Amino acid sequence: MKVLLMGHPNVGKSVFFNRLTGANVTESNYPGTTVDYTKGWMKIEGEDVELVDVPGTFSLDPKDKAEDVAVAMLHETKDAKVITVIDASKIERGLYLALEIIEEGYPVVIALNMWDVAWDKNIRIDARNLEKILGVPVVPTTAISGEGIKELVSRLKSAKPVEVDDIIANAGGLT
Amino acid sequence: MTLGLEERWTLIDRISKATVTFGKYEHTLKDAIGELTVKPLTGIPVAIAILYGFWSVFGSFAGTLCTDGFFVKLFDGYWLPWIQEAFPGQGDLLYRILVDAGGIDSGEFVLSDNCFEAFGALTSGLFVAIGVVLPAIVIFYLMLALLEDVGYMPRLAVLIDTMLHKIGLHGYAIVPTILSLGCNVPGVAATRILETKKQRFIMMTLLAIFIPCGAQIGIMEKVVPDLLGWILLYLLIGYFIFGYILNKIVPGRAPEFLIDVPPYRRPLLGNIAKKVGGRIRGFFTVALPFVMLGCAIVSVLYLLGVIQFLGDLLAPIFVNWFGVPAETAGPLVAAFLRKDLAVAQLSVIEMTEYQMITAVVLVSIYFPCVATFAMMLKEGWKELLGALAALVVVVFAYGGLIHLIGILLGVA
Repeated sequence: MKVLLMGHPNVGKSVFFNRLTGANVTESNYPGTTVDYTKGWMKIEGEDVELVDVPGTFSLDPKDKAEDVAVAMLHETKDAKVITVIDASKIERGLYLALEIIEEGYPVVIALNMWDVAWDKNIRIDARNLEKILGVPVVPTTAISGEGIKELVSRLKSAKPVEVDDIIANAGGLT
Repeated sequence: MTLGLEERWTLIDRISKATVTFGKYEHTLKDAIGELTVKPLTGIPVAIAILYGFWSVFGSFAGTLCTDGFFVKLFDGYWLPWIQEAFPGQGDLLYRILVDAGGIDSGEFVLSDNCFEAFGALTSGLFVAIGVVLPAIVIFYLMLALLEDVGYMPRLAVLIDTMLHKIGLHGYAIVPTILSLGCNVPGVAATRILETKKQRFIMMTLLAIFIPCGAQIGIMEKVVPDLLGWILLYLLIGYFIFGYILNKIVPGRAPEFLIDVPPYRRPLLGNIAKKVGGRIRGFFTVALPFVMLGCAIVSVLYLLGVIQFLGDLLAPIFVNWFGVPAETAGPLVAAFLRKDLAVAQLSVIEMTEYQMITAVVLVSIYFPCVATFAMMLKEGWKELLGALAALVVVVFAYGGLIHLIGILLGVA
């Protein structure tokens, strides 16, 4: 199995990557730290899983060379599962990227990362309901301290492609 | 099925209404500090203070404490005398390349008395790598990691944005620029965060030419500490002058930048340690082998008389165009392969302060090191050729300009 870590710049993808693979990818608190992809291995229930730390991208319509790398990586690995990392305090625009990836038919797991920051900002997210509407696993995480990472990994196997029509129906239509 | 842009946002709106509640937001201390460091009136003094602090810690830790206080004593007092004795075949070719090139005094081979002037791979090469460059790189990356993880870099980017627009870049170009002060290799990689080819080309060219790496700064700090400020000022001015010119002549767009300024975060010790460790390892495995190799090649070229020959050939250019003494021609030629030791060689030549500044600036703006060269090639050979063309022009134009300024000031 191959898993891609995708999301906006500076949402903590590299932190996940290092925690999951024990690798040493540079992490910083500024967007654009990762400009090339890094591959690593982790074990889930005895199975070897290849994990790829993909440069941050705002959408699947690349704006710079690092985003080119990200989108090309996604399109080259049609059989991949995608962990979409979302900054929980800026959930709407994170969902935009997540939806784009879901629409292309990839099985997705959503990590609502920086859960602690969202909490401090008095933003409350009903993750269960979000999961029900989207039909993909949604896990609140704080990657930097490791909270939620185990659950995130255990939910990977239940990720399946979802029809966007179903999401629209669950959300109560578009009109 | 895929959605249109409008539909997607409508759907997101629906989803977020059903799942997210936004409570009342309270202004926190972090926000207040965040604003103070971004607004120009308070932000610029803070930025100057931070950079000054950065600089003083760098100088006192790397230069005074580690290099002068410890490594000079270790290498000159113990390592050099020991290896001069222990290594067989004093005066042989191999001895002169690896241990001590020495000097000839009234027909006799004499040993050097310090590691800077021995110019052997195992003496000068090792001393420069471990005694001078290592402390500089460690302290630089440690402080950079702190600034990065706290979240200061994007704020610095916002502050400097207007200035960098004048040279076709934008605030975010500060990230590759500062990374390059450690080592140009990751700096070149970081140019990928810039949007257009034009911006990446300008950035790469300016990095390769005007941004000295940690190794070079460490050496300058060691051998010409009093002139370092002037040298860096000339490099900074060159960065802006030639950035401005490149922006005018390179075709393409230079778009505005939009950036998320992240909240300040408390840096995690583990991450800092890992990051600094990784970068130092990167420096030693990627860059250092080239440095040692360069040291050996330069020694061979010296012994074969190639450097002497080229030096004599090019001396008139150096003397007339750049205004530096003829003796500097050798080191300046060797600097194509060995920037840091070239500075050390220059420091023992008799010349005026202004000539020294000119010569060291020339060494800095020369050919990038082999590792940077390889990295630039990876980003595209057309860009590399363009950057090299710019380099040749800049060396002559800027070197001449500095000479001219010296003449006008009456110091050259």
